[in-house]
Amino acid sequence: MANATQSPLERNYARLGILLIGPTVLVFCAVIVYPLVSAIYLSLFSIYTPTLEGEWVGLSNYRELLAKGEFWSSLWTNIIWTVGTLTLQIVFGVGMALVLHQNLIFRSLARSLILFPYFVSTVVAVLVWRWLFNDLYGILNHFVMLSGASDMPVDWLGSMPNALLSVILVGAWKYFPFVVIATLARLQTIPDHLYEAAKIDGAGPIARFFDVTLPQLRDVLVVIIMLRAIWDFKEFDLIFLLTGGGPVTSTQTLPLLVYKEAFALNQMGMASAYAVVMMAIMLVFMILYIRRTREEEDR
Amino acid sequence: MAINDPKTRGKAGGVSRRTAIGGMAAAGAALAAPARVWAQDATIRWWSPQASPGQLSAYQTQIDLFEAANPGTKVVFEKTSDEGYQPQLAAAFASGEVPNVVTHLPSFAVSDYWANGLLESFNEVIEAVGPEKYYRGANDIYEIDAGVYAGSGIGNSAANMLWVRKDLMEQAGIDAIPETWDELRAALQKMQGGGIYGAPLPYAKNSMTTLTIIGFIHLAGGQIFTPDLQVALDSDETRNALEFYKAMRELCPPGATNYSWGESLTAFVSGATATGIYTGRVLINVNDQNPPIADHVTCATYPTISKDVPSWTFNDFPSVFIPKAAGDMEMTKKFAASLYDGAGYIEQLHAAPGHVLPVLQTVAEDPAYLNNPIIEKYTAEVELMAASAAAGHNLGWESPEHKPNVKAGAIVGSGVLAEMVQRIVLNDEDATQVIGETAKAIEDIMKA
Repeated sequence: MANATQSPLERNYARLGILLIGPTVLVFCAVIVYPLVSAIYLSLFSIYTPTLEGEWVGLSNYRELLAKGEFWSSLWTNIIWTVGTLTLQIVFGVGMALVLHQNLIFRSLARSLILFPYFVSTVVAVLVWRWLFNDLYGILNHFVMLSGASDMPVDWLGSMPNALLSVILVGAWKYFPFVVIATLARLQTIPDHLYEAAKIDGAGPIARFFDVTLPQLRDVLVVIIMLRAIWDFKEFDLIFLLTGGGPVTSTQTLPLLVYKEAFALNQMGMASAYAVVMMAIMLVFMILYIRRTREEEDR
Repeated sequence: MAINDPKTRGKAGGVSRRTAIGGMAAAGAALAAPARVWAQDATIRWWSPQASPGQLSAYQTQIDLFEAANPGTKVVFEKTSDEGYQPQLAAAFASGEVPNVVTHLPSFAVSDYWANGLLESFNEVIEAVGPEKYYRGANDIYEIDAGVYAGSGIGNSAANMLWVRKDLMEQAGIDAIPETWDELRAALQKMQGGGIYGAPLPYAKNSMTTLTIIGFIHLAGGQIFTPDLQVALDSDETRNALEFYKAMRELCPPGATNYSWGESLTAFVSGATATGIYTGRVLINVNDQNPPIADHVTCATYPTISKDVPSWTFNDFPSVFIPKAAGDMEMTKKFAASLYDGAGYIEQLHAAPGHVLPVLQTVAEDPAYLNNPIIEKYTAEVELMAASAAAGHNLGWESPEHKPNVKAGAIVGSGVLAEMVQRIVLNDEDATQVIGETAKAIEDIMKA
């Protein structure tokens, strides 16, 4: 028995440790464990949202959602959105970080301004973009018609595939500064002598990027991709405000489906079932992320 | 003094346990006293989705009048929205942190909440206002259970009026406002051009598209439910309505696929479309935002499939109701009744003349109400809207023969009818299959 061999001082330290970690455990239980258990518990009931009253239905919510075409189409849209916007975020983010790593005039100002989309509220950003996309007064359509590319305004948000492309683009614009910040921080720590050695070996700018910069960025990019994949997968406000999931259900992702079940149809039990399934999918990303960070620590 | 001295055990510093407990009780009472005094100052929370600057100013007048008449009572106005009230109220009901009074939500929202036992009876408020002052039958829609009213109307609205520009009609050689769908399409084809589109009909996945298709089905002579609330969507009338809706697409701006109330209103008011579909808010907005067309604007009931089919006006029946969990019920009911008080109510109606029409006949005939520049300028239009709205219906009450449909809010919120429009108009899917699937989805909602 380990306890029998412990001295009074060690037992006191153990108690102190429990005391000190207690508040953290309590907060963790309150903000993570309780909502998680609640969601799983609610998903086993048929519940009317405003009263939170309902009856036990067991796993039938899960059976019903897995049999619904709407779940699978929303999951597919969710994957397209996540992969599409994340790819653009990485491409724009790394590109912009490389530019801002150069000795530019007003570099500090540019580095500050580039963060603007990330810091601006989603509601404000969406309002601005909706005006830009507006068919009658939007500047995008003004330029499209001025350039002669089209005689008629383009329906950016109300028809497919324009709606999904527009949402992906706005998502990329909104979140690419996060990639810029993280990548720029890593770029500044790459030793200059690696580039000097590559130059001596005759590597041009493109070869230096692929043979020096990209391998050095690999670790930070993996972490960025993991985090942003989790965040983008559960994105709600930007898509909801831009298209509401339409046309029909073409831009409806799983978070929008959760919202629709919970508040439009007042079916909190079914909404919780969707949320639990979403959580299970995101768990894959989280496990990958945790394994990755462990590998980093082990090195 | 030793802690365990039997002489002092049970005493703290020489004070007996009884004395200590008594002291603590006194201290507690003293601490609680300010809270009790504070609690006497009632706070009434008032929610509404109608909150234009003019309306907010009118609400403030009503609040000031009520607070002056009821010292110690504070009224706080909080804005909700037509598209967002459902989650806000769901959260409020679930948490118990409900507003005291909610106004201007459509009547079908009231019936849904009433059916789930979430609302206080409105009978006392109606009695306080004076039942004889209302238009006859104005509160029938709220009598879901016999003899008990779930709420009351704070106004009427004629949501699907056809707004037209007489100057554009004249230029196009059209001498009468279209009365049938064929006439409307022919007129719009003549008026469309030169940067002006025919109509700002919504094709988005939202409540406006839902309400528009419900209106069109009725204008085709159909209905969504039979009077005993069996789903009656799968009909020739629905197919005709969808065919008309689809045929109108080429006469609407490209972005109409994402239009809601605001975009549709703005399209007509700004002059981008020759016609509009909206309530009387058009009048104040045209006069404020685009005066050059103000003298050319008029309205009519929306055309029907043929002259044999009567017009059908979508009336939201903007409501007032009180959540059962609201605190200080006596003062809450007093405040709800005060919303109908002459001067304050008239100022509220004048904030958007013709948009929210009076439900009290006594107010509609009051010279103080009629004495308004917009109402005086557009007397014929306001009278037409008032008459149309008074005879109007919505999904919660499709005709005088229909039973109140307590699931109407869930059906509108689900967006299944708007999705039906999008699938047929935008995706060009098979109408029969889509209508069948939509009817099934509505049946599922009715059963849930």
